[in-house]
Amino acid sequence: MLTRSEVASMLSRFPKFEDSCIGLPYAPQMPKHMVKETREVIAIARKFNEEVAKPLALKIDRRTHEDPDFLPWELIEEANRWGFYTMWVPKIFGGQGYNMPSSSFFLEEVASACAGIANVIGVHYLAVAGLVASGNARISKRVLREVIDGEKSGKPCLLALATTEPGAGTDVEEVDLLDKGRVTCTARRVEGGYIVNGTKVFISMGHVSTWTVLSAYEDVRRPSETNIGFAVKTGASGFSFGGHENKMGQRACPASVLIFEDCFIPDDQVIMSAALVKKYSSQPNRDISQHYIDYVVSATRPGVCAFGTGVARGAFETALQYASSTEVNGRLLINQEWAQCLLAEMHKNVLLGRLAYTEANNANSLRGLYRILQIKPVYQYLRFMPHIWFDKVISPFLDLGVTSKVMGKLYFDHAKPEDQRCCSGWASVAKFAGTDLGVKNCQMAIELMGQRGLRQDAGAEKLLRDIKLLQIYEGTNQLNRLNAFKCLIAPAVPQANVFEE
Amino acid sequence: MSNFNSDDLKPFADLARSFAARELAGKVAEHDRYPFGEFYEDVLKKIYEVGFLNAALPVELGGAGFGISALCEILMNLSEADASPAGIIFTQALSQKILMAAEAGKLMVTLSAGDTAVNTGLIAFPIYANPASTDTLPVAQNIGGDYTLTGRIELLALGNLARQAIIPARTGQGPGFSFFLVDIDGKGAEKSEPVFTLGFHACPAVDVTFQGASVQLVGEENAGPVYFKQVQPQMNAAAVAISSGILRGTYSEALAYAQRREQGGRPIVQWSEVAMMLADLSIKADVAAMCVCQSCLELEQKQSGYESRVCAAALHVSALACEATVDGVQILGGYGYMKDYGQEKRYRDARMVQALLGSVPIKKLAMIRRISEIDTNSI
Repeated sequence: MLTRSEVASMLSRFPKFEDSCIGLPYAPQMPKHMVKETREVIAIARKFNEEVAKPLALKIDRRTHEDPDFLPWELIEEANRWGFYTMWVPKIFGGQGYNMPSSSFFLEEVASACAGIANVIGVHYLAVAGLVASGNARISKRVLREVIDGEKSGKPCLLALATTEPGAGTDVEEVDLLDKGRVTCTARRVEGGYIVNGTKVFISMGHVSTWTVLSAYEDVRRPSETNIGFAVKTGASGFSFGGHENKMGQRACPASVLIFEDCFIPDDQVIMSAALVKKYSSQPNRDISQHYIDYVVSATRPGVCAFGTGVARGAFETALQYASSTEVNGRLLINQEWAQCLLAEMHKNVLLGRLAYTEANNANSLRGLYRILQIKPVYQYLRFMPHIWFDKVISPFLDLGVTSKVMGKLYFDHAKPEDQRCCSGWASVAKFAGTDLGVKNCQMAIELMGQRGLRQDAGAEKLLRDIKLLQIYEGTNQLNRLNAFKCLIAPAVPQANVFEE
Repeated sequence: MSNFNSDDLKPFADLARSFAARELAGKVAEHDRYPFGEFYEDVLKKIYEVGFLNAALPVELGGAGFGISALCEILMNLSEADASPAGIIFTQALSQKILMAAEAGKLMVTLSAGDTAVNTGLIAFPIYANPASTDTLPVAQNIGGDYTLTGRIELLALGNLARQAIIPARTGQGPGFSFFLVDIDGKGAEKSEPVFTLGFHACPAVDVTFQGASVQLVGEENAGPVYFKQVQPQMNAAAVAISSGILRGTYSEALAYAQRREQGGRPIVQWSEVAMMLADLSIKADVAAMCVCQSCLELEQKQSGYESRVCAAALHVSALACEATVDGVQILGGYGYMKDYGQEKRYRDARMVQALLGSVPIKKLAMIRRISEIDTNSI
């Protein structure tokens, strides 16, 4: 047999065991209760689907075609009543603190009924990730407190994330591209804060959010070094909305144009800036920016995979129902071999999608953003300590500068590059795998159902419209392939360069 | 550029292209708003006036008498800008060809006699189904030589615009069916609102429920499968042309965008991954155009097995269009997903074309069955 060092040597060769098989080492470290919690989350999502999402999905889609300016307020209020906007807000910020990976299972469930409705919930957490991953505990607490209060008062307080600009989509997803790109949203330092000018486009849930997590640049010629993040409140002077984007699908989730014209944002709403970073890290702001982007996308891209998996499942279930009730040439389709094979293929795609986001979340749990929260003692502590403990005892500490410094140091200075690469790489793989599989399933459902599949009232065509967006947002699948190459393959090939073509 | 490279067909290509530039370009999203916006009656009228609506109808029956190649050239060039008008022409051509196959072409003359309104001459048809593999057709009862129709037909294209429709229906217990000419505005026929469909919004369809509607038999009773089989190859070629147009439109819009859109400090056409995607689109568009030419040639020469080969072209090119439109949207990123650009509509329309004359799996199974019956060696 091999010696311990020989085993270590073999496993460190490409593909490294620790980068390829995340679930295996993570399994014994996972707090047991997470399974129970995830089961509960899935059950809640299924109940929500039956009572809310499924009855509304096609109606809202049709309504948005009749009235392109329609905003889904009732749906948002319903989701708020169900507690969905605080479910994955950590307990230290007053949220329900469900384990983060369970959100992917939830999103798959809801997306299987309607990707647009899933996004009405999921996009909020994209912005929550953007906020919390900054390490800025004070502003995170302030904004998330409003979310908690919004749930209690019945007046939803949602968050949106605004990074994409008219001339910069892919550019804002990678620091390597950012400096070569054409970002135009500027933040000029003034007494007590910043003046922001610029336009953001394709901002999901912009019109209906209370807070927007916004990225701007102090010097657009050096954006990666001067990147600055803000939390800006709807209604702030100089912040307005353009029209709704007229999307092909996912129409329950409005996409907005955000316009900033001499919008003053005070210092206490700065999430992240070169000046703040300097307080806890000696790393260049450029590196911190890349860490930050990696954290956010590592957390959110598995969620997009879950969306894709959900839509793939919606397509599978729609096709299954059709095949079970439709006769062709005197026989039910479900009893024809070709249809059985096609349905098995679709089911396989769903299973593979779920495996992909599960493994990407395993990476975050073992080596990324969720690691601290899922160390068993920490997990149990957070689980058993009552809310009042966090509200009365822990919460005041979040306002202290030292807390943000510690969090920032922990997030950015103590993160190992190989861990970040692993998490970011897996997130990208999951994102393009799950969404590509989703497109395949929707196409198969449409083909199987023939003319029935073409009708909006039959559901399949909406899935096909909805799924396409998932290949585009959170970084196009092409960008995600490049990122997967950069993170998971290139480190093993010294002569490989990425984004330098 | 015409893909037929034929002087004979150039005028048709030019006509269709100039029509598309004049009447369709820049208004595609507006036309696509239907049924939630206005229907483009003015464009339909112009389609009729320019002769596209009756392009496939012989001159003696009041049509333009164009051959299948000319029809394909028109469909392809229109579809490059907007496939919905091509869907209207396809539906009308299919109705007309069924009537001609049943030697009932003169019915069309009587239908529109003395009336020059566009809608009078339109004949609706359920273009997304092959009646031979539809288990739930309406039933026609023969009572003393007069037929009445009962049942439901779904997605009857042009049903809300036309007064007449050709409806397949069963007249007995067997698998056979007959075609009937029906006044769908008349007694015993109830139309739904236009159905909200994936694409082809400007080639609308309705569901119609018949309850004892008086109908006129087209050709012979139970000869429906014969007539349908007869027109299928020509209509498959027409479907190839529409898919090919969608592919060309997808490619040219993606290329133009990739040349002007910059990311990472350079036009995205210079990103080799995007260039690779564009190359794939270009290959698919060229192969599709060749399939249109070859399909028309097959129809002219009618060599053994030509029906299957044209069907194969329709299946192949429509699948190419479905694949290509996914990438066509992708190259435009977020903009491709918005209705302000043509790509998302092509993505939707490509699936509508793929479903013409029946679902893909059923068409594939029927094709292999037909080939097996004719000549096992040709599989």
